[in-house]
Amino acid sequence: MTNVEQNVLTALSGELGEKILKIETPQPEKIFIRVKAGVHRDALRILLSKDESTGISAITGVDLGETIELMYHIRTCGTVVTIRTEVPKGEARIKSITDLIPGANFHEREVADLFGVTFEGHPNPKRLILSDDWPKNLFPLRKDADVTNIETKAEKVTPPGRDKQSSDIGTLINVIVGPQHPALIEPEKFSLKVDGEVVKEVDLRIGYVHRGIEKAAEKRTYLQDIYLVERICGICNAAHAAGFCQTVEAIMGTKVPPRAEYLRTIILELNRIHSHMLLLGHAGLEAGYETFFQYMWRDREPVMDIMELLTGNRVIPSFITIGGVRRDTKEERIAEIKAKLATLKKKMSFYKQLLKKDPTLKMRTENVGILSRLDALKLCVVGPVARGSDVKMDVRKDEPYAAYGEIPFKMITYSEGDSWARLMVRLDEVSESIGIINFALDNLPTGPYRVRVSRIVPTGEAISSVEAPRGELFYYVKSNGTAYPERVKVRTPTFSNIPSFAKIAKGGNLADVPISFVSLDPCFACNDR
Amino acid sequence: MSLDLAFIFRVLIFPGFAFIFSLTMFCDWVERKIEARMQNRMGPTYTGPAGILQPFADFVKLLAKEDIVPSDTKSVVFKFAPVLSFSIFVFALFFLPIDGANVVLNSGFEGDLIFVLALVSVANFFLFLSGWSSTNPYSAIGATRVLTQFLGYDIPLFIFALTSAFLANDLSISTISASQPVPFALLVPWAFVLFIITLQAELEKDPFDVPHAETEIVAGYETEYSGRRLAFLKLAKDVQIVLGAVIVVELFLSGPYGPVFLGLPAFWYTLWFILKVLFVVMITEYLTCVFARLRIDQVLVINWRMLIPLSILSLVATVAVAFWLNPMVG
Repeated sequence: MTNVEQNVLTALSGELGEKILKIETPQPEKIFIRVKAGVHRDALRILLSKDESTGISAITGVDLGETIELMYHIRTCGTVVTIRTEVPKGEARIKSITDLIPGANFHEREVADLFGVTFEGHPNPKRLILSDDWPKNLFPLRKDADVTNIETKAEKVTPPGRDKQSSDIGTLINVIVGPQHPALIEPEKFSLKVDGEVVKEVDLRIGYVHRGIEKAAEKRTYLQDIYLVERICGICNAAHAAGFCQTVEAIMGTKVPPRAEYLRTIILELNRIHSHMLLLGHAGLEAGYETFFQYMWRDREPVMDIMELLTGNRVIPSFITIGGVRRDTKEERIAEIKAKLATLKKKMSFYKQLLKKDPTLKMRTENVGILSRLDALKLCVVGPVARGSDVKMDVRKDEPYAAYGEIPFKMITYSEGDSWARLMVRLDEVSESIGIINFALDNLPTGPYRVRVSRIVPTGEAISSVEAPRGELFYYVKSNGTAYPERVKVRTPTFSNIPSFAKIAKGGNLADVPISFVSLDPCFACNDR
Repeated sequence: MSLDLAFIFRVLIFPGFAFIFSLTMFCDWVERKIEARMQNRMGPTYTGPAGILQPFADFVKLLAKEDIVPSDTKSVVFKFAPVLSFSIFVFALFFLPIDGANVVLNSGFEGDLIFVLALVSVANFFLFLSGWSSTNPYSAIGATRVLTQFLGYDIPLFIFALTSAFLANDLSISTISASQPVPFALLVPWAFVLFIITLQAELEKDPFDVPHAETEIVAGYETEYSGRRLAFLKLAKDVQIVLGAVIVVELFLSGPYGPVFLGLPAFWYTLWFILKVLFVVMITEYLTCVFARLRIDQVLVINWRMLIPLSILSLVATVAVAFWLNPMVG
């Protein structure tokens, strides 16, 4: 435990005193504080008063049999404090923290859906993740949930159709984007009330691609789960594998060999480059700049080639595994990779000039979809969205994992907070990532690239975060001493970022909605899991 | 009245309907090829040599598709707007000299420039009606955008067109194009450049393609259309692009006129005409590729705050230099 954690701990125990039931540190530098239900709000208030940028990473629910344990993973003072409390299963109610941290809104609704916990005082306690016809009193992540013959238990729902609410009211036109819409690649529903061209109200409904991956992970072995979590998102798959493997390694106490740490860093950064380039091209398309889109995606191809060179696969590399990586690389490949990266680097500086100077692109992105620093902190956004609003937050710097502690790189922040800034953050990060990969290739340690680990994981729990291309990706794994995990919690970056869409779209122009939305880099499949 | 075979030939085959139709298809192919090559793609390659028949194949394919009319639409307008808009664009082309003369010989009259530009506005209004009658939010927004955009951009378009009319001292398109031994594009380059920019908005091309911004409002006013009505709507849009290019050619690039060899004026004039139209199409396509789409309010700001004052300035400048330019006007 370092000074930071010690300070937080002293502050909390000083104020709360007797109310803290237990302090646990299951892994170094991660504090778990057990309190009675209700006290979690006091603890949160203390943390908020100590650090105004306190935000929530995730709320994890775990079914303990008689009770449901709720874990509030709070990002504060440069560390993560987990406040855990229990509510009885029969009378699962707890006070909402949305008034203290507005960003907890979606997290609470998700737990309410999946565990049946009622959050008292929640401003909008509607369904979020489960479909509307899912049986009322069936909570899928509870261990005793009976999901046999689920089709027969479905609730009756009236299709929205042409009722009063969904049709036009007065001068407001209700533009519904999704769940099926030609401009949306993935299904999610956004209802925009439009007055002329100005967006007046935004309503979000997610969950259309909820596949129950957290539940499925409990039914598979740890090894199978790596492949499962990689498929949460096809784009940032390496980050998912890294997050999951790190968490399991923390429970097992496995030390990953340095060569594997470096190889992991390389694949994670390649992941970031191709994800950012994909998004930038997509942003070009949304702004009606098809040439930019075609060029960006053309130049992204060599990155996929490098991935293939390194791992044997282009899209989902399945490279990272518990205890290291699955494949070593050869010396002669390194030169080839470097040559390709050098070309890419040159092209990126051209794109930077383009994004900085092109008048039409600037007119479309500058001062569009502004998210102020204060709102960014309130809504607990992560990754490039936060960094575009001048929030200095990057898991690679804050809690270095893999080889990030040893590699020099800059954290990119822009203070404008508009769509342009968010795109620029990504453009600059691609250049930084190329630097990181080059450094890692130059300083690749020798030695083994993996350690063999047991398939049975000892009892325990751990949390871990990685900086996925879209922001902080959070994992919680609880093990019960078998080859199957007791609970796997994944909080994807999009889930944290998507509530900010309502904020940035409101009051803006309808024509700005696609570009400001895409500047958040939403991934619905990640979002819903 | 006896049946005039030459007249029927001119209207139906050359330089009338069949020629205009083939020219439209050809221009569509050229556009797609240019755009593809600029974006580092292949473009159409499969149908015909170098994919030249692809636009025609697309048209025929759409004709064969099921035609769905949504139950809520105001059906008469919805059904006829595409065909009407297409025929008005073609009709407008009949007044423009193609092989050295109009489609219907000697049909040009004093003031047909204004008539043609008015026809363009009417055809655009039918595009608006096609969207408005669809009762679909995307179509409705697309339709209002069409109207807002054309309402503004018709004004500078008219004023720039007047520049040429002023230089030629005539309001008939045939006379204007015939009185350019030196193309007006060289005499008054500022008006030419600004006219092309205005035309870009008139043709709904980037950076002004807001009425059918596919990422915001799907296909705009086209959203509810399918089958042969969509085919005609798309064809109308393509004819509109050709018409726009032809107007530029007539007003600023000395129409179909150019050097004639071996005494076959009709052949050479048609050739020059096609080459000049392709030149204009190339410019508009180039602009489409290098710009992002603006927002509707930005489009309007550019129109009212920049193009309209500039169009008046351009006219004033032309008047000021007209005295020195006169010897070069035929």
